[in-house]
Amino acid sequence: MKIYFKYAFALMLVTALGGCKKYLELKPIDGIIKQEFWKTKEQVRASVFGIYSSMMEPSSRSYSTQDYIPSMTELFFVWGESRADNVANATASSRDDIDLVNMNTQPTNVNVNWRPFYRTINFCNTVIEKAPEVLANDNTFTQAQLDNYLSEALTIRALMYFYLVRSFGDVPLKTDATLSDENIKPIPKSTQAQVLNQIVADLKSAESKAVKTYGDVDSDKGRVTQFTINTILADVYLWMDKFPEAIVECDKVINSGKFGLIRGATRNGSLVEYNESWFNTLYVDGNSNEGIFELQFSVQRLNPFFPIFSASIPARRWTASADLIERVFSLDLNDDKNIDIRGDRGSVNAATSTIWKYIGASPTTQRSFDQSFAHWFFYRYADVLLMKAEALNESGNGRDALDLVYRVRARANALAATDLAPSPTDKNLIQDFILEERAREFCFEGKRWYDVLRNAKRKNYARLGILLNTISQSVPSNLQQSAQAKARDVNSHYFPIYLYEMQTNKLLVQNSFYK
Amino acid sequence: MTRKSVLIAGLVFISLMYLVNAGCRKLEVVEKTTSDVNIVGYLDKNLDSFSLFKQILEKTGTASFLNAYGSYTCFAPTNSGVKTYLKNIGASSVETADMATLKDMVRLHLLEDTIYTNSFTDGKLPVITMYGQFLITSVVNTSGVSSYVINRQGAVVKSNIRVGNGIIHAIDQVLTPATRTISQQLESKPEYSIFVQAMKETGYFARLNVVDPDLSKRWITVFAESNKALADSGFATYAALKARLSKTGNPTNPKDSLNMYVAYHISSGLKFLGDIITVPTHETLLPQEVVSIKLIDQDVVLNEDEFNGVVEKGVKITREKSDIAATNGVVHDVAAHYRVKFRKPTALYWDVSSFTEIKKLPAFYKKANYNFTRATEADNPIKDHYWGWGPLAGTNVMTYTYSTSSSITNFAVNNDVNMLPLGLPNRPVFWEMRTPPIVKGKYKVWICYRAQKQSSSSNMLCQVEVNGTLMQRTMNFTDNRPAGTDAELEAIGWKRYTENVTNVFAARQVGVIDFLTTQQQIIRITPLNGTQNNNNLDMIQFIPIDQNQILPRFRPDGSLLFQ
Repeated sequence: MKIYFKYAFALMLVTALGGCKKYLELKPIDGIIKQEFWKTKEQVRASVFGIYSSMMEPSSRSYSTQDYIPSMTELFFVWGESRADNVANATASSRDDIDLVNMNTQPTNVNVNWRPFYRTINFCNTVIEKAPEVLANDNTFTQAQLDNYLSEALTIRALMYFYLVRSFGDVPLKTDATLSDENIKPIPKSTQAQVLNQIVADLKSAESKAVKTYGDVDSDKGRVTQFTINTILADVYLWMDKFPEAIVECDKVINSGKFGLIRGATRNGSLVEYNESWFNTLYVDGNSNEGIFELQFSVQRLNPFFPIFSASIPARRWTASADLIERVFSLDLNDDKNIDIRGDRGSVNAATSTIWKYIGASPTTQRSFDQSFAHWFFYRYADVLLMKAEALNESGNGRDALDLVYRVRARANALAATDLAPSPTDKNLIQDFILEERAREFCFEGKRWYDVLRNAKRKNYARLGILLNTISQSVPSNLQQSAQAKARDVNSHYFPIYLYEMQTNKLLVQNSFYK
Repeated sequence: MTRKSVLIAGLVFISLMYLVNAGCRKLEVVEKTTSDVNIVGYLDKNLDSFSLFKQILEKTGTASFLNAYGSYTCFAPTNSGVKTYLKNIGASSVETADMATLKDMVRLHLLEDTIYTNSFTDGKLPVITMYGQFLITSVVNTSGVSSYVINRQGAVVKSNIRVGNGIIHAIDQVLTPATRTISQQLESKPEYSIFVQAMKETGYFARLNVVDPDLSKRWITVFAESNKALADSGFATYAALKARLSKTGNPTNPKDSLNMYVAYHISSGLKFLGDIITVPTHETLLPQEVVSIKLIDQDVVLNEDEFNGVVEKGVKITREKSDIAATNGVVHDVAAHYRVKFRKPTALYWDVSSFTEIKKLPAFYKKANYNFTRATEADNPIKDHYWGWGPLAGTNVMTYTYSTSSSITNFAVNNDVNMLPLGLPNRPVFWEMRTPPIVKGKYKVWICYRAQKQSSSSNMLCQVEVNGTLMQRTMNFTDNRPAGTDAELEAIGWKRYTENVTNVFAARQVGVIDFLTTQQQIIRITPLNGTQNNNNLDMIQFIPIDQNQILPRFRPDGSLLFQ
């Protein structure tokens, strides 16, 4: 009897423990864990789309405070424009925004927080590391599909590093995924050259894996294709002063025949006929024949620009510089029908100095807040043409370079006053001409500072003057001399590492300019 | 003893131990609210760089107050800098150095405020040192490395070190104060001998040779002309300059042109180049005469002004030879000779609707209406036109009105007017404009408008102030011009300013103003009674009192009619 009880008790214990099984399990109930992810091709696809989505994340915490974390798209704009001459601070600019313009950036400046970039890089690293495992788990997942997804992750990672390297110079290079806290370890900076080599290697490897088309326009413009990769590579080669390579990459895009310029104006003698829908086709609707790679903001995911630029709310942060129209686009005072379509009501609303490209619903009406989803334009076909022109000019082929520049000018009816009319052998003047044309063509598209720096630093800063002039346009008069003297130190062209990163990663060494 | 009692004893003992142990635990009392070090604490932690400066602070008795509560900015020189400094003042060590000199030195390195590097400009720091001289900042690039340089002496090697009671900027050299007055500074430089001679004979040399203990009166800024600049204008010697200018024979007489010449080169206040260019005009010691300042590309240019459409070339300030600090001010070098220009008062017929901002919009200027809207009070779309924020946000719109056919502007000058709503409770509370430069003198002020009533009962009575002086008469945007001959009208302060005789185009003479300086003047229209939108301002005329007030009149194409 007694023994019988003992067995019965043991049995109860066993069954009771069995009942406990669910209870003891430590898996989260509201999410999915690593061990259960990376099983199907749908999960790979979701992860890759997550990379794009991460680039559209909004900012967090409140602007004008020390713990503000800007969104990546905002940083594309701020990094690419704030220190150059096309923009000016507005009534609500924070001290940090003003310091950028004044060449007073400190390591505490919230705008130098690179967190959104490394976050996206980690998403890319994760896909690159884990997606190949899915091949074994999902039989419907093919090598070609995997390659395709890998090309997207590799390209976005390269693009992120390209932004970082142009903005900070030397940056930490991390190519493996941080999957858990155990992977967090301090890493030192790699040199700009090392990072650039990694970028080129990634893009090269992505090129062979990428598709030419996804079969629909939105994906072709919003996801990485071979042509996206060629265009980024051309930009990277230009930055590295590798001109023949840049031309090769540009030609791949040009010869594909898949892209063209959206016609803006046609000159017929003294009369100009304008394409009324140019602004809407290119900028408002986006994904035009001219677009190569655009960040696809939509009703579901608004861009951050409405509160930053809109003149209709009190707290705008950035405006166009007051003399933008005269200095950059110029005016025909005798004939008001003769305009550069990229100027007033293209890039800017001149009367209120409003940056119009992202908040115009048409040349004359403004978007409302809930319609603020203009795309961010990484690359357009005009960029490819002008990059090729720059590379041609540097390789000594000024004539062909000028042909390309005039092609871009003609479609926009650039005014005669802005035609520097350089002789095909005058390399420096052609360089200035291309740079000025880029300022008009890509006004507020986050390229101006990088264009200026790229041209200034070429051949061991042979033309530093370009950068000094740009700076003296935008800094206040009582800081002009200081700002110029600072810019003669080439380390000042790169941002300081954000203080928080310096405190948490002890292997980082601050840029020596920021002593 | 039973087992039980042993057990109880043991338990009691153990519980006692707990109590005793608890009593033994050292209580941690936090006495400080922060573990941040203060200025001296920071120096203590970095003795290998700052041991000598620390010694100096201790010797001069400043260490204790720099370690107490406060907000200071300290420029801390490193040891190598202090060594050089000691050598220069002839002391072998901190101990043997002169106490007074060291005290002055410490005071020059301290500001009673926290100044980060982002407040550094091309000029002086916003706060004076405890020594009583301002420090100037600049950025210098030496072999590719740019650093902030303080007083053109010490380069900042580590900046913005935040400590409990302020900020430290480490510098590589000790700063030394200016020891010479403006007069002594200039006298020590032979290239200014002619200018110095002129200063001596006119009495300004003595005046600029004293350091006024009153800080508000101490500072003087001098624009000195070198012998070369004078020679370029044909004055190779002082005698030549004196012969040309001094007509009364007594250069100390303020009416003597030589005296005026020197006075026109002196401005009160401490203005380094970085400070000068933030203000467009500066008064000189010559009563009611100003020099204007413009930044053209990178050059600071004096007196480049436009009068009646003609640009008069200015004089450049030589940057390299300027910003010379003295105990009582600063000296700048001007690249060429300049004198006061005596201008006769000239009439200004100011078409207010031809401002820069509308001219930049060729599709609207002299073509169509355009609204300049201020979304918020902070907005200021037009540089020279400004208005007091109307409580009803939507009324803050100035309309550039243009039409050749509309009855509002068909006879207006250039067919355009500016229209701004005015008047409490909802509309803008004043309308202020900055005129083009007007030569000093006495003027009658005419407000030329196209009278209009928004509704039949509208009234828009306004007063006008010029440079803050209230004009003698009011004007009313709803009043038509009365009937009468030109002479009759002028006698009662009215005139017809357009070619057309319609009585809605009216000019009201609001009063007489005496401009004391030649510069851009400020005119403000303030509504007194009534409120409406349709206040159509066409022109403002400033006509010297001794000139014809009625002619010329204006045609719609902007041309003048002299009969």
